[in-house]
Amino acid sequence: MTDLDHDAQASADPLLAPFTPGMHGNPPELAELTRNDEIVPQVVIPLADVKTREFVEEWHNASYNCYSSGHKFCREVCPVVTETRNESWSPTAFHANVVAMERGELTIEDVAADYVNCTGCGACELRCPNTLYTGDFYRFRTRTVDVVKAARALAVESGVHQEGYRSWNARTAERSHEPVLGEVPVGQDTVRDWADGLGIPVGGETILFVDCEAAFYRTSVPRAVAQVLQKAGYEFGLMGEQWCCGGPAAEMGYVDQARTFAEHNLASWRATGTRRLLVLDPHDYISFTEDYPKFFGADFDLEVVLVVELFAEMIRDGRLVPDVAVDRAITYHDPCRLNKRKGIWKEPREVLRSIPGLRFEDVDRVTQWSYCSGAGGGLAVEKPELTAAISARRLDHAGRLDVDTLVSACPWSERPLTEAGDDVDIDVLDIHELLATSLGIEVGGSRGETGDRRLAQARTGAMGRVRRTKGARGPGDAPSGAGSGDAPGGAGSDAAGSGAGDR
Amino acid sequence: MTIMLEDVDEVVRALRTVLADEQILTGRADRFNRARVPAPFPVHRWAERVPDLVVLPTSTEQVAAIVKIAHDLRVPVVPRDGGTGLTDGAVPLRGGILIDVKRMNQVHELDLVNRTVTVGTGINMLKLNEYLAPYGLFYPDDPASYPCSLVGGRIGTSGWSLIGARYGHTRDLVMSFDHVLPTGEVIHVGDGIGHKVSKSSSGYQLKHLFMGHQGTLGIATRATLKLFPKPEAELSPFWAFYNYDDAYACTGALARAGVATFAGAVLFDEHKVAYLRRDDEAYIPQPNDVRALVCAVMYGWDDEVRAGGRRLFRIAKEHGARYLGDEISEGDWAARHDRYATPLHGRTKDGQVVPMSWHCEDAAINYSQLPSVTRAWHEIVADLRRRTDVFDDWGMFAYTQGSTGVDYLTEIDVGIWEQQLDDRAWAMWVDAKRRIARVTLDHGGSISACHGSCREGEVDLVPEELGRGFDLMLDIKRTLDPHNIMNPGKYLLDRAYPEEG
Repeated sequence: MTDLDHDAQASADPLLAPFTPGMHGNPPELAELTRNDEIVPQVVIPLADVKTREFVEEWHNASYNCYSSGHKFCREVCPVVTETRNESWSPTAFHANVVAMERGELTIEDVAADYVNCTGCGACELRCPNTLYTGDFYRFRTRTVDVVKAARALAVESGVHQEGYRSWNARTAERSHEPVLGEVPVGQDTVRDWADGLGIPVGGETILFVDCEAAFYRTSVPRAVAQVLQKAGYEFGLMGEQWCCGGPAAEMGYVDQARTFAEHNLASWRATGTRRLLVLDPHDYISFTEDYPKFFGADFDLEVVLVVELFAEMIRDGRLVPDVAVDRAITYHDPCRLNKRKGIWKEPREVLRSIPGLRFEDVDRVTQWSYCSGAGGGLAVEKPELTAAISARRLDHAGRLDVDTLVSACPWSERPLTEAGDDVDIDVLDIHELLATSLGIEVGGSRGETGDRRLAQARTGAMGRVRRTKGARGPGDAPSGAGSGDAPGGAGSDAAGSGAGDR
Repeated sequence: MTIMLEDVDEVVRALRTVLADEQILTGRADRFNRARVPAPFPVHRWAERVPDLVVLPTSTEQVAAIVKIAHDLRVPVVPRDGGTGLTDGAVPLRGGILIDVKRMNQVHELDLVNRTVTVGTGINMLKLNEYLAPYGLFYPDDPASYPCSLVGGRIGTSGWSLIGARYGHTRDLVMSFDHVLPTGEVIHVGDGIGHKVSKSSSGYQLKHLFMGHQGTLGIATRATLKLFPKPEAELSPFWAFYNYDDAYACTGALARAGVATFAGAVLFDEHKVAYLRRDDEAYIPQPNDVRALVCAVMYGWDDEVRAGGRRLFRIAKEHGARYLGDEISEGDWAARHDRYATPLHGRTKDGQVVPMSWHCEDAAINYSQLPSVTRAWHEIVADLRRRTDVFDDWGMFAYTQGSTGVDYLTEIDVGIWEQQLDDRAWAMWVDAKRRIARVTLDHGGSISACHGSCREGEVDLVPEELGRGFDLMLDIKRTLDPHNIMNPGKYLLDRAYPEEG
């Protein structure tokens, strides 16, 4: 400890008195010291590869903000990390890789395959302290989803392809729709088949855009939406010549293809005088509110309406009155792109609360930051087994509640969730299907093979609640699955509570 | 002494006898992403700190088999749990096999009768508490890294908990654990033989030896933890003061009050308040005469927290405290884990915002020495700032360590602009760390209260702090790890192997 008189020294040395850097009235010596820095600045290491350099230049500061935080609060909310426990596939790694690329330690070839392991759910961005605590002040937000998309685009541009992505996008380009039915071809000639018998016109000021999964696979969703709209007397048409929105191509790094699709769709809307897009799929909602404005700037002047928000509004003002009781005990799955990416969580709950007969056991939207179906961001294309595992975990959460049905609002989530639900005997329904049923509409269409089979089974037995007797559990009891379960780590738990006597 | 490429292949072949292929990672990105921790990291020398390969075991048996292979082949092993430590225990210094335990995150047993839970050490406390919540229980190990650190890392560093004054720290909360020794043998350490015994006098007390060794004595794989009722009430008042001296006096009085629900108090010095005024919406509007802060926290049943809270409010008032209101009190305590970890707070002396890594230099300091240490540490950081904007002073905290107020986790938060680090800046930092540790020892403190003291700079003073005890450390290290394979290069433990030097 120094013997100097502290106060005397403090008055002489501006660095010993507390101060706020940059404040008006600070001692001028401070700025002088900054000018005469012994270390800063340092020459940035030049990167030979132009594409990599441009990528690094765009993302290095954002990446460094993550890297230098060093904490990994994102890790335990990331659905991929939760499942795989592999730090190479964490939001932190996705940023650290950029720092390493800037320093020439890693190349896009080294990391491209790792970037597959992201569903684009956005949980990490919300959980990031940079977003949460100082982001508003500095107008900064962690953007892992965009970093991942940019890295995938750099990979494609650099000729580094993931075979699943490459083939998926090649088939999409060939057919102008995603190959969601596998070997069964999809295309322009069948894209409106879901609407058979509904008498919907083509074109018009407002059109209903139906994503590939809903148009070809879970056709009950668009049928439900269309019939609810008709019941409310809402005028709309089908798209003149609908192609895939291009969002999946953009997510997998095939940016040129995404842009081509977007250009086609915009031209088709222009041709039919369309001013408004009704969107039932959260992924399309991201494409139209984020990708298209990026492609077209102010030229993209169409109004984009999310159907579930529209329905909530119609219920609020009495245009829709659900009055057919639905005898189910449900919980709601917040689709990542609504809850985490767009902050839309209230309206779906409004819709569900308006349906008579439902027993709704809600799980807080923030708790659901770590939930995901695993279907997003192209993960299911490249790693279907990982998608299935993430879906199984989501159903495991649902299974701890006293419910027989998991309701989603995203057609892409519903296929893997339905499969996982079948394993634990929980139905997976779409919110629009449920609302239509409650409005007395016979929805029709298909919920996919498993979904149709489950529905047929339920219909031959008692309505709803076939799975278990409701309310059998006392309020003080611990939840049924809690001893064996998800305990992060899940499947390997080798013992439930030994203290069963306490229950 | 990083192993050479042909040896990596040999190691991989051996590991394949106990692990699936997908549990063995050799990719460059896999290795680069398991090199750093939030402790100041010489990014410019990143490549010198990567492991040769990474393994993701799922059981004690697998960890034991991996370590046995490493021991037989004389390959370095580095355990990595959360990788959130503020000393660099998890940073590989000699390449080798990095054992990442994150897949060992199962809950093995919940014993509601005896109030314990047995878990894999790869589990995170926040996730564990999500699991325990439906039973009305919680595990109160609560570091700043609560959302991301893992039970195993808490054991390896002998962690410190913000609410330790009420519930104890990691060493008190971990009752026993399975531990893989550097030879691959598995032992169970706890109090006596017990898995669920909280106090034993049988034999040497080995549990402490295998906590806080920074991975140099092996790897904990499965731990039994003490559980508490989830607190019904939490009270966390924040008070403002006109000056540091009043706040300091108040902190001491609160800690000495003997209130049973008291879980901790935190003293913010004048530099810390200035730092918060940069960008924290709760503090920007505070009048200029708010120069120091104190917060206290109480956990327990509603009735006891109310009674204890009244007493602490009275004490605070007697010391000139001004209550900052419910909004700041509740909000700031809830957010306290996260506030320090954002790089955006960094500024050059003339006010430019630059991304800096948060670093906190900690020590255990007696209450009576806090003001003097506080002054001396700020002088050290001021010397750094005088030379370069790579370093920034983010102020100091002093946290009560125990319920009587005898000593404090004292930390100075230093922003480090790692993007600008070079060998000169790194040398400045290492020298500053040595000076910080020197001040601690001169004041009768311990170099680290919670992080560990094995980083460059500070580690030079550890033999002095421990005296003959350091020689004993060398003897123990050599006995348990005859070939120096377990996290080599840390804590000056290479001195245990003079023949190698």
